[in-house]
Amino acid sequence: MTHAKETDLALFASGDASLWQRLRLRMHLGRCAQCREVAAAYQADREGLKQEASRMPPGVDWEHLAAEMTANIRVGLEAGECVAPRRRKRAALATTFRIRRMPIQLSFGWAAAAAAVGVTLLIGAALWLNFPSSDKQILGKAMSQLFHGRGITDSEDSGPVVEASDNGIMLRGNGGALKISQGALRPVAVSVSAQGSASASYVDADTGQMTITSVYVQ
Amino acid sequence: MCSKLYLFVFTAAAAAAQTPNGHIDIPKDAPVSMVSVDWSGSRATPRGGAYLVDVHASLTLLNSSQKHVRGVTLEVLAQEVTPGGKGAVKVPSLDVAPRDVFSVRIDETLLRPLGGGDAAPVVEVRLDGILFDDLSFYGPDKLNSQREMTVWEMQARRDRKYFKTLLESAGRDALQNAMLASLNRQAEAPRPGVQVVRGRATNADPEHEVQFAFLRVAEAPVEPAAGMARVTANEAWAPRFEVRNVSKRPVRHVEIGWIVKDQSGNQFLAASLPADLNLAPGQGARVFPDAAIRFPDRVSIQAMSGFVSSVQFGDGSYWIPSRGAMEESELRGLASPSPEEQRLLQIYRKKGMDALIQELKKF
Repeated sequence: MTHAKETDLALFASGDASLWQRLRLRMHLGRCAQCREVAAAYQADREGLKQEASRMPPGVDWEHLAAEMTANIRVGLEAGECVAPRRRKRAALATTFRIRRMPIQLSFGWAAAAAAVGVTLLIGAALWLNFPSSDKQILGKAMSQLFHGRGITDSEDSGPVVEASDNGIMLRGNGGALKISQGALRPVAVSVSAQGSASASYVDADTGQMTITSVYVQ
Repeated sequence: MCSKLYLFVFTAAAAAAQTPNGHIDIPKDAPVSMVSVDWSGSRATPRGGAYLVDVHASLTLLNSSQKHVRGVTLEVLAQEVTPGGKGAVKVPSLDVAPRDVFSVRIDETLLRPLGGGDAAPVVEVRLDGILFDDLSFYGPDKLNSQREMTVWEMQARRDRKYFKTLLESAGRDALQNAMLASLNRQAEAPRPGVQVVRGRATNADPEHEVQFAFLRVAEAPVEPAAGMARVTANEAWAPRFEVRNVSKRPVRHVEIGWIVKDQSGNQFLAASLPADLNLAPGQGARVFPDAAIRFPDRVSIQAMSGFVSSVQFGDGSYWIPSRGAMEESELRGLASPSPEEQRLLQIYRKKGMDALIQELKKF
């Protein structure tokens, strides 16, 4: 006698087999003791797992678990950032899936174009009037810088500048720059002092040694 | 043909590269001595219209004193590359026993415009200070490293004691929860990046004055009173504030933490405002640091607050806020964790609870 496939028996035991498969297997199991035994074993395993899952370990601290998971996700994200910067990832994905920008051809009549401009102006004015004043300042500044052909982060300082960011610290001035880091390590914290200094803290994962680098405006 | 051209370009670039001259200056009578220094990988290369200098130095130092070393500061100078500035590498939270060795790594990138001379730049590393376990100090202290390292050491003792007590009184799970909470606080803290310029930065935006709201820290020997700064959208400058010595001892130095609230309601520690003073008990003074801080354009400063983060008394002793005082004044989420807490967090993250507990038991 030909026996049923183990995968089919597993699907039958879990109730995931299709209607036709169920009918066919039920007929077969009625006359095959060996397959009946296998299906029964799968069913018993399934019941056992169900019971195990329904029993919760005592003293589960859900808040602790949630905090741990959040921290672990962040650690994972940070590690991911180190391994593959986003731009590279996107470029790799685009190459893999051959993503191309499809050209869109639209033709408007003059009337439609004028209507579109009118609607845009109306929406723009409404948004501007409803913007919080702080956001208005930022937007105005960005627009002004765009019109003047400058990058948003351009600065016009004549003297030396110290800066701190997630990438570390830097002193710029007199056409030169000075950056002090700890090789490939990323800073765990950065700070600045109004006296004209910036500091970045690094921890060596192997030795646990903390190193703080600083730059100063003299 | 093309590959030959690349080879030529590469060879020319390699030929133009020079090794920067490194010089380590540790006085002969210093309580640490240099065992070895490795400059491998350091080089100076012309790149475009600039000269790029990469300095990689690994120093091995020996504690030749009779005391445990808790911290070291090295001053890094490259005068002809960065006139008007200098750097430093500091190693706090050490525990180096007499006759033990320890290492300090320096990775420095310098950029200077071409035309400043063709000679390989000289990079000088000088000892600025060493802090011992009895809080005594050795060194020229040109960078105020004694004050900085002493405050870090006091914070380290406070935080180690807090975590040890937590472990002993509430157990392993409580310590783990504290670590996770601190990690999450750090991850959630906004870090928009900040620039500091001396004096006033150029900005044509409309400006206005914003008052400081000061956070009261329990048992602080100095109380900040009124304060304000000039503010445009993403820049604040000319901070000025009044402080009063409410202790019974003369005060020599105060450091104020400057907190900024942006348009989204995010609060973050923007900068520290140190001030050298000479305040008798009960006396007040006005402080005018000559500085401006600037954030990225996406940040709009809406409000500012401040708190006393450390005080140095006339006799050279220090005050720092206790963990309890920080919790009470809600500073825990705003002030940066101490270097020691950051170190302990990294040990927990990378090596787990057992390694952290072992570390706490060391001293």
